[in-house]
Amino acid sequence: MEIEFQRVGKKYESGQEALSQVSFHLQQGEMAFLTGHSGAGKSTLMKLMMMIERQTSGQILVDGVDLRTLSRRAIPHHRRRVGVVFQNHQLLLDRSVFHNVALPLLVSGADSQQIAKRVRAALDKVGLLDKEKYNPMALSGGEQQRVGIARAVVNKPQLLLADEPTGNLDPKLSAEIMNLFQEFNRVGVTVLVASHDLALVARMRHRVLTLNQGRMVNDGGFG
Amino acid sequence: MVQKPNQRGATRESIKATKHNWPTRTSFSPSKYFRQHQTTLTESFMRLVNYPLASVMTIMVIAIALSLPGGLYVLLKNVQSVTDQWEQQSVITLYLFPNLEDTQALALSHRLSAQADVASVEYISKEEGLRYFERSSGYEQIMSSLPENPLPIVLRVIPKQAVDITTLSSLQALRDQLAAQKEVDYAELDAQWLQRLANILSFGQRFVYALSVLLVVAVLLIVGNTIRMAVESRRDEVLVMKLVGATDAYIRRPFLYMGFWFGVLGGFFASLCILVLSWWVSAPAERLIDLYQSGFQLQTFNADEIVLCLTISAFVGVFGAWIAVNRHITTIELQ
Repeated sequence: MEIEFQRVGKKYESGQEALSQVSFHLQQGEMAFLTGHSGAGKSTLMKLMMMIERQTSGQILVDGVDLRTLSRRAIPHHRRRVGVVFQNHQLLLDRSVFHNVALPLLVSGADSQQIAKRVRAALDKVGLLDKEKYNPMALSGGEQQRVGIARAVVNKPQLLLADEPTGNLDPKLSAEIMNLFQEFNRVGVTVLVASHDLALVARMRHRVLTLNQGRMVNDGGFG
Repeated sequence: MVQKPNQRGATRESIKATKHNWPTRTSFSPSKYFRQHQTTLTESFMRLVNYPLASVMTIMVIAIALSLPGGLYVLLKNVQSVTDQWEQQSVITLYLFPNLEDTQALALSHRLSAQADVASVEYISKEEGLRYFERSSGYEQIMSSLPENPLPIVLRVIPKQAVDITTLSSLQALRDQLAAQKEVDYAELDAQWLQRLANILSFGQRFVYALSVLLVVAVLLIVGNTIRMAVESRRDEVLVMKLVGATDAYIRRPFLYMGFWFGVLGGFFASLCILVLSWWVSAPAERLIDLYQSGFQLQTFNADEIVLCLTISAFVGVFGAWIAVNRHITTIELQ
């Protein structure tokens, strides 16, 4: 999936300006990091891509299509093409790991055979195949995060967004998670990871976008 | 990022080119659609089973609310079937104008007996009337002291139809028609008690209808409130579903099915209540009826009425859920 921001601004009703004049272009199959202090607008930028929020100025083009032209009814279909991983894992505790990962497939109406196959493939990729029957609560923080990643990729999205995916994990686990993202990127998925862990980001040697108070202050380098 | 005018220009052109290829909807597949519905139907039922106490309470409140108008309806149906069987010879008494000649009265009598809906006409002259009056009332002295006979000529018209609850209105029409004859001073249909009964029954009917509407609204509110709480308790799930691309219809569906189950099960237990109640009252009721007449069968909810009860309650359940879900699902948004 190809993403292009053109002078995008987001001003909340409270008057707070979360993003202003943000422009960048993420090519199909590219991997990049998004850094900046907390409150710099990283989450807002991701929410705009998910159409959780709408920009107040500028254009966001996804595969060449202006997101503003999409109706409310089109939003779910847009979201099915995007996988998201959040710091708070947003796993449902009333069902097993398997059923958590199956959710995006259920929502898009896959049949049960397809669901079983794809869920196990996704769990295999994150190394949790043996934990499919567990309740997410019984897993460690790192394992929960990997369940979240499995859920984000189970639908074979064209874009993977991760907002602070290593937020409360130790460095070793963080590196493992980052390697996972890199693997997905290698098979052609466009990946954007928001993180304030500058040391880790620098080690990954990918393009880095830096936000400061809602403005894009750095694009390129390795942090 | 370094500005690249050429590339940006190219992208803009590609907007136009690709705009209509955007897959805003997945293609519709009937098998997928029915599979989803079937899954949701069973899952929403299992959800009720998993919270037995709360579910049973809601279902019982609905059942009680529905069995009240249902029971009254059965009662009314029985009263109606009893009164339908009561009939009597109907008589319309015509009091003619006092100054009318005998010949004119006789002509009217002949004319009326030729009418299709009239069985016979009995002619009571002034003299016959006076004799009858003297015999029956005990006012002989007063009557004989009068200078002349004050009684008018009377025609007793016997209609072909016997009077009962179903023929009352057509007999009333006949009476009105007879009253409109120029010779007739006053016409009276001897069915006052039946008229009163008809009025009481139609009052009862309206009472049951009004009560039904009120209680159906109550069921709507009960289901709505239960579904509202269900949506609230599944807030996290709704949010995650929205995040992974669930349509509003998909999110709404399990709650609508939940309303459906509440409605159907409430209707089922309401029907059961009515059947048990009518069985319970049947013995004394039949003994009571035997005192007056035989050949009457106590009626209860029949199959058609059970189906109707279930249909109405299922519809009310889904509708109540629909209102609640639409109001609450839009308030749960990702942020």
